[in-house]
Amino acid sequence: MSATTLHADASVPDEKQAAAKSAGRRFGALVVRLGAIAAFAAIMAYFVIFAPGFTSTFNLINVVEQSAILGVLAYGMTAVIIGGGSDVTEGGIDLSIAANMGLCAAVYATLLSMGYGDFLSVLAAIAVGMGVGALNAVAVVGLGILPLLATLAVLNVAAGMELTLTQNTVVGASSPLLGVLVSGSFLGISALAWALIVFSAIMIAVIHGTAFGLRLYAVGGHPEAARAAGLSVPFYVSFTYVLSGFCAAVASVLTVSRLSASTPGSGELLLSVLAAALLGTVFSRRFVPTMGGTLLSVLFIGLLANGFQLLNVSSYWVNGVQGALILLVVAITSFARGSEGSR
Amino acid sequence: MSVSANDNAARPSLRGFLAKYSVLIAFAAIVIFFSVASPTFLTPANLFNVLVNNVVMLAIVALGLTIVISSGGIDLSVGVSVDMASMVFVMLLAAGYSGVTGVAGGLGAALIVGVLNAILITRLNISPFLATLGVLFIGQSTQQLATSGGQPIYLTSGYAADQFNAIARTALFGVPTPVIVLIVLAFAVHVLLHRSVFGRYVQAMGAQPGVAWYSGIRVSRELSMVHVLCALLAGATGILLSATVKSYVPLSGNAFLLDAIGATFIGTTLSRERKPSVIGTLLGVLLLAIVKNGLLLVGWNFYWQQVGIGVLVFLVLAASFGLRRAAH
Repeated sequence: MSATTLHADASVPDEKQAAAKSAGRRFGALVVRLGAIAAFAAIMAYFVIFAPGFTSTFNLINVVEQSAILGVLAYGMTAVIIGGGSDVTEGGIDLSIAANMGLCAAVYATLLSMGYGDFLSVLAAIAVGMGVGALNAVAVVGLGILPLLATLAVLNVAAGMELTLTQNTVVGASSPLLGVLVSGSFLGISALAWALIVFSAIMIAVIHGTAFGLRLYAVGGHPEAARAAGLSVPFYVSFTYVLSGFCAAVASVLTVSRLSASTPGSGELLLSVLAAALLGTVFSRRFVPTMGGTLLSVLFIGLLANGFQLLNVSSYWVNGVQGALILLVVAITSFARGSEGSR
Repeated sequence: MSVSANDNAARPSLRGFLAKYSVLIAFAAIVIFFSVASPTFLTPANLFNVLVNNVVMLAIVALGLTIVISSGGIDLSVGVSVDMASMVFVMLLAAGYSGVTGVAGGLGAALIVGVLNAILITRLNISPFLATLGVLFIGQSTQQLATSGGQPIYLTSGYAADQFNAIARTALFGVPTPVIVLIVLAFAVHVLLHRSVFGRYVQAMGAQPGVAWYSGIRVSRELSMVHVLCALLAGATGILLSATVKSYVPLSGNAFLLDAIGATFIGTTLSRERKPSVIGTLLGVLLLAIVKNGLLLVGWNFYWQQVGIGVLVFLVLAASFGLRRAAH
């Protein structure tokens, strides 16, 4: 309740600012946005010239495959941020998404190893993922707990349940579906890469091509106005958390196929997922989270790690460069938005 | 919104009472439950063990986060401050420097993290969440590069071990030094946050950043101070941690982050305006520590403890937020 009120309060100066925003400021924002994209392009150009084999089809498909898991998770996070508002302490966030993926992967791999078929196992993983998402939705929408806190508690529950289920061990898994995901290919593109392509197409179409997606932005941008316009804010916000759980389940199948097992430690992905979803805002005209922007930043993070590998730079640098890039991009973005943009 | 809150204050209801004291009620219920379930729980030896091993370090990190969260921000990089202080402290001792130099160096490393956060947030206008997330990534890389990929440093005997023992294994009037450090720091942060002009500024920035700015508070100077203090407190934790386990294990500080955020926010349920407070935070830390210890004593393994803590935090938050919402 207080969260929505705060949002309404906070958006008032934004509107005044937007009204006062001169054409010059808009031009500045455009230059900055293009500048950020140009910086990305410059890094890519460097890799193209100096990293051997960077542009080979094999390598690029490899990057897309590696990005599939992060991408699917980042879509879930992006949806939650769109529907809950992008204020990072009061707005929408799902800290449980990576732990949820770990739990779904454990359920999926355990059921497979117990001899249940693909159909039942995948169904169970999706049910668990969406169940965890529904728990988040109940906590955030039903009980009014801050998303940051609610999903933090659920993170602990999901991570603990994964550990109890697997006893912190690797659970090997193999099945026809996993076989297809590992070695199947269509039109020369591997199944994992297809998974990311198809999932991206669906997400972009739903969020950016339908009235539903537009309403989701309305709910996140100004909940009071959305309610006044007759939208059911609780429904839309709940939907994003359940969708986030669904994304976690899909990602869990992909991660089990990639590793041929469910392994502990998937919670470490959380920060990269957050980084991808937040970094993606720089690709949108109004600096809001978009599915397309998230896809670009996921691919960028993937290409960055890959380029470093090809250049034989120690992988220890990757985190740091990723962190520095986030800071650079966000500093530029907040500069473009005006001095009070990030407050 | 504020009108209905005032109405509610005028007519205290049972639900309002339950919402306000849900943490205390949960705390009492949990202590009673474990006292009955385990004969060793309520023994002085066990409670002492909980205090020294589970409370002190988490509490000091949580004190820092209490200041930051009071100012309306967040610090995801507390783990980096813990680790960097721990790393520099242990490396200096390994090189034969004195304990005092080691402690100063460790705190200096944490100070750098805090200043970096402060510059990013106040000068470059990056939101605290993203700024400290970026610093977290950079801190992780720095440690990996400095330790060839995360090799721990163990100093379990010799000169350095004596220095460690001088910090972690000494006591004053029977109270272990780390506990004294916690008491002193908790008192200091309490005075700073709840009894000083600085504290009032911090609370004002947390409640209404725009109003604080228009009222002439130098928001960027106070915010810088907030982040530097938080990093220094986390750095003190890193030094106590290293001295206790006689080693530096890279990337181990992050384990504090989620628990400390949880403890601070559990503490906010004590106040009607959901403001963090030192007493609330300490209560939150105690609650988490006692549940961990109690579940261990009644025979739950480490994995179930995590589920238990998640469920407990969830229930406390649900009771506090849900009942308060119903009371409106």
